[in-house]
Amino acid sequence: MLGRIDIAEDAVQEALVLVWRRAHQFDGSRGSAKGWIYTILRNRCLTMLRSEDREVPTEPQAIDRASESAAVNEAFDRLPTSTDLRGCLEGLDDGTRRAILSSYVLGHSHGEIAGRLAAPLGTVKARIRRGLLKLRECLS
Amino acid sequence: MTDRSLDLLIDEVVLGLASDAETARLEDLAARDPDIAMRLARARDRFAPLDETADDLPLPEHFWERLEPRLSKSEDKSQAPASDSSGGDVIDLEAVRARLSRWRSAAMGGIAASLLLAFVLGWTLFSTVDPLVVAVLLDDSGEAIALVESGPDNTTRVTLLERPDVPAGEVMQVWTKPEDDGPPVSLGLLSTGLSGILSVEGLPEPHPSQLYEITFEPAGGSPTNLPTGPILGKGLAKAPVT
Repeated sequence: MLGRIDIAEDAVQEALVLVWRRAHQFDGSRGSAKGWIYTILRNRCLTMLRSEDREVPTEPQAIDRASESAAVNEAFDRLPTSTDLRGCLEGLDDGTRRAILSSYVLGHSHGEIAGRLAAPLGTVKARIRRGLLKLRECLS
Repeated sequence: MTDRSLDLLIDEVVLGLASDAETARLEDLAARDPDIAMRLARARDRFAPLDETADDLPLPEHFWERLEPRLSKSEDKSQAPASDSSGGDVIDLEAVRARLSRWRSAAMGGIAASLLLAFVLGWTLFSTVDPLVVAVLLDDSGEAIALVESGPDNTTRVTLLERPDVPAGEVMQVWTKPEDDGPPVSLGLLSTGLSGILSVEGLPEPHPSQLYEITFEPAGGSPTNLPTGPILGKGLAKAPVT
């Protein structure tokens, strides 16, 4: 998601400090420890991606579309065929599936997805919302 | 808020699409309402299989040494309110014990989280493979272009023996035929254009005489999930003599 091992290490370190600091807030009846920790790490990564003072490349010329696309494909390809998530993602049209995967796997915002699809922001938001509802219906 | 809009908000928070304000609002709702907390946890679980698609990476050298000072700094901060609440000079041992036991149960997960570097990177790095089969891939003229070693779980190390001339906008994709008369199955992309390790789930253990090949495909991989481009090299596997 962050694309550089030194920044990734920073994210993991900061997440572990938060885990340590917030351990008293963990409540096992509200989800697994693993889920709780992954969420802290994901949130750290997203904050780092969204903040401008980090050296995460966001300049247009630094964006490697091919490797982004490969990372999204790889995540999908590696989902075991037995998982419901894979089956339900397969039921979405290609663009919507890629938009949802790139937000989860690459941490892309609505704006970044719209930029890459060269589509209006509102259209992209609506498309993702329809996809999420369809996905939720399929998964429940 | 309707159920439907709450569901959407939950999904957008889980994906990372929600704004900071929306995320804070949902976390606040979840903290007060166990039902919402459960719905949020369930939504996270639904996407969790994607976390498992990342490679495990070894921790960088001296990771724990760098982490330790940061932990003790944060410990000082977190202990202050505990002693305040118990009158300043009395240490509330119960609170400390409770915190420690919670920390211990979280620590195993913490170790797993540290292995998530790969998830964070979205990148393939090296791990060791104990090969069950080895194949040398040859090009049209019989020149060896890559060495393929695959383990029982189909983790496959591809060592390029020649610098390939990958056409612009294309990528090398590695294939195998788990069944001799079945279709080729993708093992993954060599998206960096260099040697790499690929892993794939759900395939039977590789066997001697299994076909391996590398083709050039459009960026992102073959659109049909079957080889479409020219073959860089191919070869049949053999079991190494041990």
